[in-house]
Amino acid sequence: MTDIIQKPKVVIVPCSGIGKTYGTVSREAAYNITEDLRPENTRLVALSKLVLGEEEARSVVANHPAITIDGCKLACATKMVQESGGCVARDYAVLDVYRRYKQFKPQGIAELNEGGEKLAQALADEIALAVDELTSEQGEIENG
Amino acid sequence: MVEYLEFQIGKFIFKVATDRLYSDEGMWVKIGKRHVEVGITDYLQQRNGDVAFAEVKPTGTLVKLGDELVVIETIKVNISLSSPVSGKVVEVNSSMETSPEVINQDPYGAGWLVKIDLGGGDDGLMNLLSPQEYLEKTRHEAEQEVK
Repeated sequence: MTDIIQKPKVVIVPCSGIGKTYGTVSREAAYNITEDLRPENTRLVALSKLVLGEEEARSVVANHPAITIDGCKLACATKMVQESGGCVARDYAVLDVYRRYKQFKPQGIAELNEGGEKLAQALADEIALAVDELTSEQGEIENG
Repeated sequence: MVEYLEFQIGKFIFKVATDRLYSDEGMWVKIGKRHVEVGITDYLQQRNGDVAFAEVKPTGTLVKLGDELVVIETIKVNISLSSPVSGKVVEVNSSMETSPEVINQDPYGAGWLVKIDLGGGDDGLMNLLSPQEYLEKTRHEAEQEVK
């Protein structure tokens, strides 16, 4: 008998701040992770769906560990995941990450400058490692 | 314990500590026995948003009134702020290197920037505003902006 092991998923919830550079960095990082770096193990959930109370989004968040990426100290992504019954396994703030990568100064809103793109990539790389940790922890629990 | 004057514009409440003096630009100066402590006001930090970096002139720097003292990068802007007094920088708040967000968290306390020994002569203290004068100035400024 062959066991089909479904890989555990981590939910990525970025800031929805439209018209804000740091919000754009958070979304760009989220796309990098969910589309390029860890597409198999992650799923993107739009913050707006949680704000609107969409059932499917709330259910996904409630049943998977979440990584939130906040663009400012209001931390809407983290708060909404918690309010939706989810578990925030890791939370990232773009400003904190920028302090570690001062050379990547983000600018632009609809389109990030090179610094912003690099900052988003650096953030995505950090989060990808966190996804690996979470999925291996989940796998260990599920496989006994 | 520090006491504050306050004014409110919309949902924002701005505090002005009563135990110090202020420059037009939004720097505060607290006079001590051996030196003055300098920082930025609650109004200035709230207007400019979360601080990412604060580069302060190092210990030993001689500054004249109006010389650049600190460059602050926030999520919104880069601002260069000039020294409200003349003298010698004798201490820089080490939190500016490691956790400049303290400026936002506690602008009149742990978020101080530098300590300066006044040089004597025209140190600039006479040009500074009282807390009430600074409050009136910033309230007027903020009211004009929301009109």
